[in-house]
Amino acid sequence: MRLADVDFTERDGSVIAAVRGEIDMSNASALGDAVGGATPGDALRVVLDLSRVNYLDSAGIHLIFRLRQSLRDRDLELAVVIPPESPANDALRLAGLMGRMEIARTLEEALGT
Amino acid sequence: MLSPSVPAEAPADLVRDLYRLSDPALSELGLDQFLDELLNRVRDALGVDTAAILLLDREAKQLVARAAKGLEEEVEQGVRIPIGKGFAGRIAAERVAIFIADVDHADILNPILREKRIRSLLGVPLIVEGDLIGVMHVGSLTPRVFDAEDLALLEVAAARAAPGIERARLYTALEREHRVAVLLQRSLLPRGLPDVVGVPVAARYLSARDEVGGDWYDVIELPEGRLGIAIGDVVGHGLGAAALMGQLRTALRAYAQEGHGPSRTLELVDCFVQTMPQQPMATAAYAQFDPQSGKLALATAGHLPPAIVGPLGPRSLRVTPGAPLGAFPYGAAPEQELTLQSGEVIVMYTDGLIERRGEPLELAIDKLLELIREASSAEEACQLAFDGLVPPEGLDDDVAIVALQNAPVPNALRLALAADPKVLAHVRRAVRRWLSEYGTGAERSGEIALAVSEACANAIEHAYAPGPASFELQAEVIDRDAVFTVRDWGRWRPARRGNRGRGLRIIDAAMDDVRLETTPTGTTIVMRRRLGAG
Repeated sequence: MRLADVDFTERDGSVIAAVRGEIDMSNASALGDAVGGATPGDALRVVLDLSRVNYLDSAGIHLIFRLRQSLRDRDLELAVVIPPESPANDALRLAGLMGRMEIARTLEEALGT
Repeated sequence: MLSPSVPAEAPADLVRDLYRLSDPALSELGLDQFLDELLNRVRDALGVDTAAILLLDREAKQLVARAAKGLEEEVEQGVRIPIGKGFAGRIAAERVAIFIADVDHADILNPILREKRIRSLLGVPLIVEGDLIGVMHVGSLTPRVFDAEDLALLEVAAARAAPGIERARLYTALEREHRVAVLLQRSLLPRGLPDVVGVPVAARYLSARDEVGGDWYDVIELPEGRLGIAIGDVVGHGLGAAALMGQLRTALRAYAQEGHGPSRTLELVDCFVQTMPQQPMATAAYAQFDPQSGKLALATAGHLPPAIVGPLGPRSLRVTPGAPLGAFPYGAAPEQELTLQSGEVIVMYTDGLIERRGEPLELAIDKLLELIREASSAEEACQLAFDGLVPPEGLDDDVAIVALQNAPVPNALRLALAADPKVLAHVRRAVRRWLSEYGTGAERSGEIALAVSEACANAIEHAYAPGPASFELQAEVIDRDAVFTVRDWGRWRPARRGNRGRGLRIIDAAMDDVRLETTPTGTTIVMRRRLGAG
């Protein structure tokens, strides 16, 4: 059973990677590879939509940092969506990263629409 | 040509020996052993140097060397003699005994007979119910005149042995087909069952005595920690039914993994079945269990009702069955929801387990319930059912049974886990379920599960050679604190930049007290968090 699924859509030059499920040590790096691989060179940016992620831990945080770095190397920007009520905030809060990472509350906010 | 006459003085024990060669039990030796035994007895009885059997290959119209004593090369080299040609070929074509006093001067096709310098040969046809099945011949390395008595003995042996050969041959062919069928059947059933913490499952399958069938079972891991169990029975027997079973099992599993509920899953399998050219019919039951809530959703397509046993006593579920798969274009199976209480075991089975000729079905189900009522685990339920209902000699129908338990949450958790990141999701679910027994609120429970998962992830990272690739998680309540101990036998590695440090930071922040002990033989982390509803 896969712990998480990821769907890709493109909107106005943005690649939206919507993850559903749980992100931990077992799938974080494969998810990062999938997002990097699904992003064409001419994309403007990547939106990692974690709205439907109900578990995220340090492996998931590491995935965000690593993905942001690898996309930056390709001159791409990464936006991350985590709604305020999401359990995925637990790890960010406990790791002391709340407010120190740029997190959009909705997909619309991330897309700037 | 010789004309045989049965010698009055044929040794009684020899005749008895030869008679035994047609004993049906001997045919179960398999063809090779049977022929080996036969030729040894013939060689001893006639005092000859060689004895050989060639069997007819009907399609090629040839005799093929199948077994030999003193002429083993003949078999190894797969000597083939055309019917009508040479010594053995002529015996087969004319169906008569042939004696050759001096091999050198006769027309011998078989080079091995010449090379071995066999001087004299005597051969007879092997005939079963008027059909020639082969040739048996004996040979001597010194010139010998085979007399009427020798011929009579060889003919008695041939007459007695031929039906045995035919039976053994048939048995071997059938056995091979059966072996293939059983192998196929096995490969179509699950190789192992998922190991989900807190939800023990068990299953058994037994093929029918003579034939494989279309029974199957399955246990399927589903999203969000739910578990599916399925059972089914394709109408019919043999390889065809087994192959159909494999397709239906795969279809059900694929739809179930998509996350569809039992009713919809069976409906989709039914649609799939309706498109199959073989137009199969099958019954099936599918249930989804959610360990967090204990809820079980169930639907059946013409299948026998599952049984539930446990602390509350045994019961057979009253389900409204849908039509069997493949029976009607719209055979909706209504979905039923119930709660599997802590400790209860649900048992699904195929009719082969309980159906006995002349016995009403209700009585048969009651008998099953009575047998398994004391079962305290899924494994025990399967075992009790098999012990009580499957006789040692097997059954005429194939049998499948699968069971799942809502295992009681123990006061203290003690889990030995493989150092595989895949166990982390199971760990989190087991911890949440354990915490819910103590009335822990969702937020606190989520934070604790996160911290424990981080600690387990560390243990998995440590577990590299030479230590064993496993670790241990223990959870207990001490003075209103939940206390978690994660122990591994690996070496502590300095934190990689970022990731590991972040994990420890999360653990520190989520727990009230954290102690980390590192020794040369492993690492132990003990974490405490006050219990409460918040």
